[in-house]
Amino acid sequence: MSEVINLRRYRHIRNGVLGWLTLVLLGAFLLRIPRIHILEHTARNLYFHVPMWFTLMAAALVSAYHSLRYLQSGDPIRDVRAREAARVGLVFGLLGLITGIVWARFTWYLGTSLWWNFDPKQSFVLIQLLIYGAYFVLRSAVEDPEKRGRVAAVYNLFACVTTPFLLYTLPRQMESLHPGAEGNPAFSDITHPIMRLVFYPAVIGFIGLFWVLYTQRVRLALLEARAVLLRKPMLEAEL
Amino acid sequence: MRHSEMKVWLRGFWAVFEKDIKLELRARYAIHMLLLFALSALVVVAFAVGPSPLSAQVQAALLWMVILFAAAVGLGRAFISEEERGTILLLQLNVRPGAVYSGKLLVNFVLLLALNLVAVGAFALLLGAEVAWPGLLVLTLILGSIGLAGATTLLSALIARAAGGRGALLPVLLFPVLVPLLLAAVDATRSALLVAEGWTVAADALLTLLGFGGAVITAAVLLFEYIWLD
Repeated sequence: MSEVINLRRYRHIRNGVLGWLTLVLLGAFLLRIPRIHILEHTARNLYFHVPMWFTLMAAALVSAYHSLRYLQSGDPIRDVRAREAARVGLVFGLLGLITGIVWARFTWYLGTSLWWNFDPKQSFVLIQLLIYGAYFVLRSAVEDPEKRGRVAAVYNLFACVTTPFLLYTLPRQMESLHPGAEGNPAFSDITHPIMRLVFYPAVIGFIGLFWVLYTQRVRLALLEARAVLLRKPMLEAEL
Repeated sequence: MRHSEMKVWLRGFWAVFEKDIKLELRARYAIHMLLLFALSALVVVAFAVGPSPLSAQVQAALLWMVILFAAAVGLGRAFISEEERGTILLLQLNVRPGAVYSGKLLVNFVLLLALNLVAVGAFALLLGAEVAWPGLLVLTLILGSIGLAGATTLLSALIARAAGGRGALLPVLLFPVLVPLLLAAVDATRSALLVAEGWTVAADALLTLLGFGGAVITAAVLLFEYIWLD
């Protein structure tokens, strides 16, 4: 276990992340923010909604990296890492979508029948989540662990090749609500320096949170595997 | 690659292609399934929509959705028949993985072209679609079929080799991956249907289709080995 996960380093980082995120949360709700047209205080969601996107991208990179290394080396720990990064990334992606939908609904869509903005960034995340969903369905369909790892890794990498094309093809069917799109002020215009003071740390904090959760899950998987191994001689002795 | 290696590769590729085409012409299972599925799907759509005219965007979308579903249902058997007949080992020993993939890819591409022909014909017949730029439509179908065949061949190999041929998996795996292809193809098809649009408007979409097809096939050739060889 100590060769795979350095427990001391993990504990340091975990404590650091928890402290950091506590400060971020305090700053997010207690610090003043400038008066932004229409958004008002919902702008605080910026500290939560946008970091989810960064975290999903980080998770996707980690998962793809470990998939590639698994294909090269066949080391099962790589497969575990790829799987858990995808799983935790999926959760963060869902949170990002939900925070975005709630924000848009409350700010612009109340009283209308609209929920989905057909915004390119939003659709991109949705399709990435569908790909991860398919990834887990594929994993559950294969029984042999080695084949499972290889097949899942191939699918993960294949999807990585095709998703960048979404950036070229997702059309804007309705007016995008994201900053930087037509008619909306750019991101840097609406993030007053005091907001950036919380925003950038929030991004770092949430990526750190992803790392903590992902490492915990990898540890759990390895402990479970070890438990199975330990149980075997006991069963054989009973027979 | 040296000249002799290239010849061996080409011979293997052609052998795989020829074998599958001959088997297909004998049994005609896949082609019948593809064509009848597309036809039935288009009939269902046409009856559900009724005689009222549809916008070009909706017509293009319906056409490509039917093609996508037909491909997912009809092309999934490319590798399963090998598993069933026990010829995998023979192929693994005699033909390079890249050549196996390319041979199967060409088979699927040819089948898709046949599908496109029938689908577009039925589509024009049943939905009353007027194609303003037929050359553009043909090119869109060809470029779209390249990416579609590429992705379907790789993923059907994935499922056949590993998941025990659970065919129902193919649509689940295929559709999220093919969204860029679908969007670009629908865009270009709509441009082909509208007189006001045409080649200049569709240029972006066509380039995307070409790029997507190229990227998919490159990635598939690189990744195919890892599923094919145990």
